[in-house]
Amino acid sequence: MSLFNRCRLSPLLCFFLVLGLWFCGEVRAVGADRLQEIKQRRVLRWGADAEGGAPYVYPDPGRPELLIGFEYELAQALAEKLGVRAEMVQNQWDQLIPALERGNFDIILNGLELTQENQSVIAMSQPYFVYAQQIVTRRRIEGLDRLEALKGKRVGVLSSSVAQRLLESAGGIEVKIYPGNVESLRDLRAERIDAVLLDLPIALHYAKPDPELKFSGVPFAPGYYAIGVRKQDMTLLEALNQAIGSLAADHTLERIYRKYGVWDEHQESLKMYQAQAVPAKQPISTLREWSKYLPLLLRGAVTTVELSVLAMGLAVVAGLIVVLVRLYAGAPLCWLAQAYVEIVRGTPLLIQLFLIYYGLPEIGIRLSAFWAAIFGLGLNYAASEAENYRAGIQSIPRGQTEAALALGMSRWQTLRRVVLPQALRVVIPPVTNDFIAMFKDSSIVSVITLVELNTADGMLDMSTNDYIRLGLMTAGIYFALSYPASIFAAWLERQLQYDHR
Amino acid sequence: MITVENLTKSFNGAPVLRGIDHAQQRGEAVVLIGPSGCGKSTFLRCLNQLEVPESGRITIDGLTIECGGPLTKAERQRQRELRIKAGMVFQSFNLFPHFTVLENISQPPTIVKGLPELEAEARARELLTKVGLESKANAYPSQLSGGQQQRVAIARALAMDPLVMLFDEPTSALDPELRDEVLRVMRRLVEEGMTMIVVTHEMQFARDMADKVLFFENGRVAEAGPPGQLFSNPQHQRTREFLQRVVVR
Repeated sequence: MSLFNRCRLSPLLCFFLVLGLWFCGEVRAVGADRLQEIKQRRVLRWGADAEGGAPYVYPDPGRPELLIGFEYELAQALAEKLGVRAEMVQNQWDQLIPALERGNFDIILNGLELTQENQSVIAMSQPYFVYAQQIVTRRRIEGLDRLEALKGKRVGVLSSSVAQRLLESAGGIEVKIYPGNVESLRDLRAERIDAVLLDLPIALHYAKPDPELKFSGVPFAPGYYAIGVRKQDMTLLEALNQAIGSLAADHTLERIYRKYGVWDEHQESLKMYQAQAVPAKQPISTLREWSKYLPLLLRGAVTTVELSVLAMGLAVVAGLIVVLVRLYAGAPLCWLAQAYVEIVRGTPLLIQLFLIYYGLPEIGIRLSAFWAAIFGLGLNYAASEAENYRAGIQSIPRGQTEAALALGMSRWQTLRRVVLPQALRVVIPPVTNDFIAMFKDSSIVSVITLVELNTADGMLDMSTNDYIRLGLMTAGIYFALSYPASIFAAWLERQLQYDHR
Repeated sequence: MITVENLTKSFNGAPVLRGIDHAQQRGEAVVLIGPSGCGKSTFLRCLNQLEVPESGRITIDGLTIECGGPLTKAERQRQRELRIKAGMVFQSFNLFPHFTVLENISQPPTIVKGLPELEAEARARELLTKVGLESKANAYPSQLSGGQQQRVAIARALAMDPLVMLFDEPTSALDPELRDEVLRVMRRLVEEGMTMIVVTHEMQFARDMADKVLFFENGRVAEAGPPGQLFSNPQHQRTREFLQRVVVR
């Protein structure tokens, strides 16, 4: 028993050990001069997200193995100025800054807005593009032509974008956050939201050609895109600034932008840009100011718990039905149950969620994000629970069934009174394991705009740039949720123990 | 009371029972002996339909099952009625580990016949006393010895008030010193006039208690007769060889 207790303590210890290590101090790698390094290896690595990335950087529709886009060509031109080759590194857009800090690539060149928030964590070059925000709505909707007019409406934005910040600081707007621009426009068409606020170039590419959608009002809140580099890479920044300056002067920028239909008269102002001193900003420690951030995370945690509990409830019941049909029903139904398990288990949860949330509306079934998430997670886990149950049921010796039948019990009575109660004890550990996995897997529902714990963390990351400590706080909450579940399962297992030998 | 006509059964095309006929009066104890694989256990399991025979006819107490037809709902119902009439005791006991000893005996009549809990429990205690385990009512099967478990299994089968008791090698899984306590219970049942069919290697039990012994060989009843005749003067060559082997052993 004492050994058992010691075993159970160890995950807690590990957790605090890791926590402690992180507190020991900020670890910042200071390497050799980045520009020298780039020139030596003759490659400029630039981070960008080509997923739904038109017209910035995206696969050529005609030859999808090749990338195109105005930033793709800009990267080529910049690299040429530095005398090296450009190589794109794919990275999810809202995680570009932490990836840069990690050293995954040399620069960020992907519609990164020149804002004080960004400049408090990384250095930014002089701007290479002037963008503005554009409201897009459905053709029939009138009047949503200004930021103020969006109050009380459901508006979609790209995660971590300036548009998100604008909407959140405006207040009174129901902001729906999407991992990409394609998804938000799809939801706009599906009438789940009333409008989308996005950067003009994206709107020009994705929304303009769509007859169902329209630009509402004029572009507003102009800003600059600039290249992001690590703060210590000042020589690289200098070289990039010079390169941008000369590309603007010799009209290379204009030529590229015109090619992609994103050139307008505002771009002329790039030449007049004067860098402004960035007011030194105290980096935020979310841990020191936990009382401000923890409640926001906890609100996300409530959604995570609701989601996990309801979805697991569905999975436990649906899984039982699936396994009973599979083991005891006649041929066609049994095959159906087996096919269900194989298909659900053999395809990614992410795609299943997408199909339920974005696909079902096309055949007239429109679920809210919350219920789409519960059905998606629940039906996915049902396949896994069905397999757990099958293992449990089949682990009960055949003699048990024979003894029950020989006593005159029906097949159903045999199952309910003899086989299932014994199987229950066998399946508690794997089902608990799935339940805990569900807590963490549920973070995937952020792709269908639900704000649960992980998304809440991501949103705060963006506004504070304190990824590590927020991540630790979030991990701590996940742990605090799942550990009691483990303890409860262990207790339940002991309650069901009948082997008292 | 029991009539079996031309019962056949094969596993994956290999015949195990090649046409068994058998008739038994109420109160008779019949012992089946024979080398392993001869079909005696299969015959027993066919009697209460744990194995479905290919053809033949089984009648127990006026309830007839025509074997080989499709398993309709009505047929399943008859199967269950037959099983209630024929109690079964297995080689490996097969007690329900999640029930206490008392529940193992009291639950089946409640579940199957709808007997009120209190009545079922009272009857279960009676039966426990009969097999000498009244003190173990609240224990779990895993806390009992093999011999005790088998006695509980006998009580469990008796709780359904069967007309005939089927024993499938009830002592084969037990250490020699635990066999007697089970055999003692079985002897008492014979003395009380229970109709029984017993598959066993306990020749002493067969000699003492059987009204009739059937010698099974290769899916057939090779020889049948009262124990006195079959053991002391076997007619069949195979019977002689088998008896020599078990006695030498």
